[in-house]
Amino acid sequence: MNHSADDTIKIRVSDLSFSYRNRPVLKNVTSDFAEKSITALTGPSGVGKSTFLMTLNRLWEDLPGASMEGKVKIRLQGRFRDIYDRSMAITELRKKVAMVFQSPNPLPMSIRKNVAFPLKLAGERDKGVICRKLEQALRMANLWDEVKDRLDDDARALSGGQQQRLCIARALILEPEVLLLDEPTSSLDRRSTAIIEELLTGLKERLTILVVSHYLEQVVRISDRVVEFADGSIVSG
Amino acid sequence: MKRGILEKLTVWFSWAAGLTLLSAVSVLLGYLLLKGHEALNPALIFGETPPLRALLLRERVFDGLFPAVAGTLVLITLSIAWAIPVGISTGIYLAEYAGGRVKRALDAFFDVLAGIPSIVVGLFGFASAVFLHRHFSERIGPCLLISSIALSFLVLPYIIRTTQAALEGIPRDIRLTALALGATRLQNIFLVLLPKSLSGIMSGIVLAIGRCAEDTAVIMLTGAVASAGLPRSLLSQYEALPFHIYYISSQYSDPAELTRGYGASILLLFLCAALFSAAYGIRKGLTHFTLYRP
Amino acid sequence: MKNLREQAAERAFLLSALASCAITAGILVFMVLMGLPLLREGGFLALLLNSWEPYRGAFGVLPMVAGTLAISLLSLLVAFPLSLGCSFLTSGIAPKPLRGPLRRIIELMTGIPTVIYGFVGIFLLVPLIREFFRHGSGMCVLTAALVLGVMISPTMTLFFCDAFDRIPSSYLKAADALGAGRAQKLIHVMLPTAKKGILNGVILALGRAVGDTLIALMLAGNSARVPESVMDPARTLTAHIALVIAADYESPEFRSIFTCGVVLYLSTMVMTFLVRYLARRGEGNI
Repeated sequence: MNHSADDTIKIRVSDLSFSYRNRPVLKNVTSDFAEKSITALTGPSGVGKSTFLMTLNRLWEDLPGASMEGKVKIRLQGRFRDIYDRSMAITELRKKVAMVFQSPNPLPMSIRKNVAFPLKLAGERDKGVICRKLEQALRMANLWDEVKDRLDDDARALSGGQQQRLCIARALILEPEVLLLDEPTSSLDRRSTAIIEELLTGLKERLTILVVSHYLEQVVRISDRVVEFADGSIVSG
Repeated sequence: MKRGILEKLTVWFSWAAGLTLLSAVSVLLGYLLLKGHEALNPALIFGETPPLRALLLRERVFDGLFPAVAGTLVLITLSIAWAIPVGISTGIYLAEYAGGRVKRALDAFFDVLAGIPSIVVGLFGFASAVFLHRHFSERIGPCLLISSIALSFLVLPYIIRTTQAALEGIPRDIRLTALALGATRLQNIFLVLLPKSLSGIMSGIVLAIGRCAEDTAVIMLTGAVASAGLPRSLLSQYEALPFHIYYISSQYSDPAELTRGYGASILLLFLCAALFSAAYGIRKGLTHFTLYRP
Repeated sequence: MKNLREQAAERAFLLSALASCAITAGILVFMVLMGLPLLREGGFLALLLNSWEPYRGAFGVLPMVAGTLAISLLSLLVAFPLSLGCSFLTSGIAPKPLRGPLRRIIELMTGIPTVIYGFVGIFLLVPLIREFFRHGSGMCVLTAALVLGVMISPTMTLFFCDAFDRIPSSYLKAADALGAGRAQKLIHVMLPTAKKGILNGVILALGRAVGDTLIALMLAGNSARVPESVMDPARTLTAHIALVIAADYESPEFRSIFTCGVVLYLSTMVMTFLVRYLARRGEGNI
């Protein structure tokens, strides 16, 4: 385990326990995650890796029957904050801690509207700002060159790999500090996987990235640290 | 495995049942067409009055179904107008906000509501009309307003159920996508979930429309009469197609009127079949173009 | 820390839900209130069990209860085999390409308005029954039950089909793998598994039959006596309401329709709860 100085710890999880419909899923998980790095989470199916990700952006609170104990602190804008504290608005948290899901799920809109959607949610109306951030996000996701001439096309017409990069761009447009990805390439072919892995490697200089992944080679290829889950807790890493 | 007697009997029984049901309904439809096809012309609806003048409300139609058809259309519009906001909001509450015991309790209420016989709903409407007549204003009696509200009670469960089912059927990832991007619950509902459920909700609404079009029990107790002309105001009595058919069946005075009754039945049948197919088409069709907003 | 708009919206949705509940309860409450004078005079049970002889001052609804029971149960007798057989067809017996269209036709059939069944029944079936049995006017329990049975069959069929659809496909695949033929799969695997769903469908259809007004009103003769055979005319609780509504507001005859209303409401409520109870019991199994 990388024990750098406390300054570079981005996420600190202490004694995290999670149960869903009275079944325990995570038990006393404790770990620190360094900033500006890629940490891979591995382990058998159903062991709780995706659930763990959801405790970091409080997405589980919309699932009925779920409950959690423990502390999660994330360093946002320089300060360590308990993300479950009342002073933290969930919508603000999710702007800083973004998530990309396993299957690409573009909304039924154009590419432009898809990527700009988070801005619309946040109430941004200035067209100039929107355009600028749109291009910036698409460039970060390595998708700009492929779509810059057809931003108003239906997003669902893109290929699988392109759609997933679209979802990554959409997650990046609010300039988050942490990016959570749940098996982002499991539904993609080899070439698309390589493209996404490359873009993640490029992103780690700006963000802290946690990736849930099943594929051992991918894990080894791109991550700085590997955390293995089994039986609801971390067994190594 | 050898085909035993039991299996052979089952196959024979199934086909017999299917053919019996199909022929019963075919006989019904065939008889209707046979007896009513000669009535199928514009005179059925407009009587002696020229259609254009009738449609422009310049002349009253006496011998035709126009007032009844108009009455039914107005009735449907009003009932749906009352039922949609309450039904969809309730469906949203059930699917997105209610949890555990509250949800089960609400569920029970709406199941009961769905099971109430239509005549009982009509009776409630009538009783309300009497109550209002005696305690509020002499002008209120069984009328279009009371009918449409009672009818909306009848179809409320349809809209609640289909809204709830459509929202709950949205896959988890889609449900979480906007939330993960910083949306509030309300934003998620209006910007993502409702548009995605639209085809389900629409088909529920169309089914509700069909139910309003065919209902007779509620309206016969709350304001439908045999002869009232075009619907004049919310507080007036009115004519409606299904009630007209019922009335003719017991009070027809000559063969021509009876034939008109058959014609009216065919008309009502077409209306309901069209609405039904529309609901089906919407369910199948809209899922292809889930409301594309470029 | 939800903002004001979120809270207002949630309250609005809750209000709609509560309004819908209030309507459900309100219907029952209103009817009890309106029928109260009569109930106080006679007591609920007495009303239920007495005959209807207004000139003698008896406003019991027993004949109507009997009429409702006779017609709905008989119609179930007609509808059940028809629906079961049709659901067999669409769920296994008919060749694959036929199943979809067959189901759609049945779905379309559920849209046929009740008043039309009644209308055709009066002019087609009633004379037939009259001629065939040479007894009475043709408007009797039998006529109403036959037409009602045909009317509820498509709906019942769809309930049964849903029950078959809910069978886990693993069971069906296992049956196929063991070489079971269409009928065998149906009888030995599907039917036993879907038993609860079928019972469910029967109860729901019974609810529809009990709640029907027009077919009984137009075809059953409306005599307010307990029917002694299927060839006798009868009056249902529902038809009674439709017939007596024209009577004077204050009269006891008028108030008797609220007794009918209460009986109808309570019986369909009981059936609804029965269905829910059975569904909850079956949650662990299929």
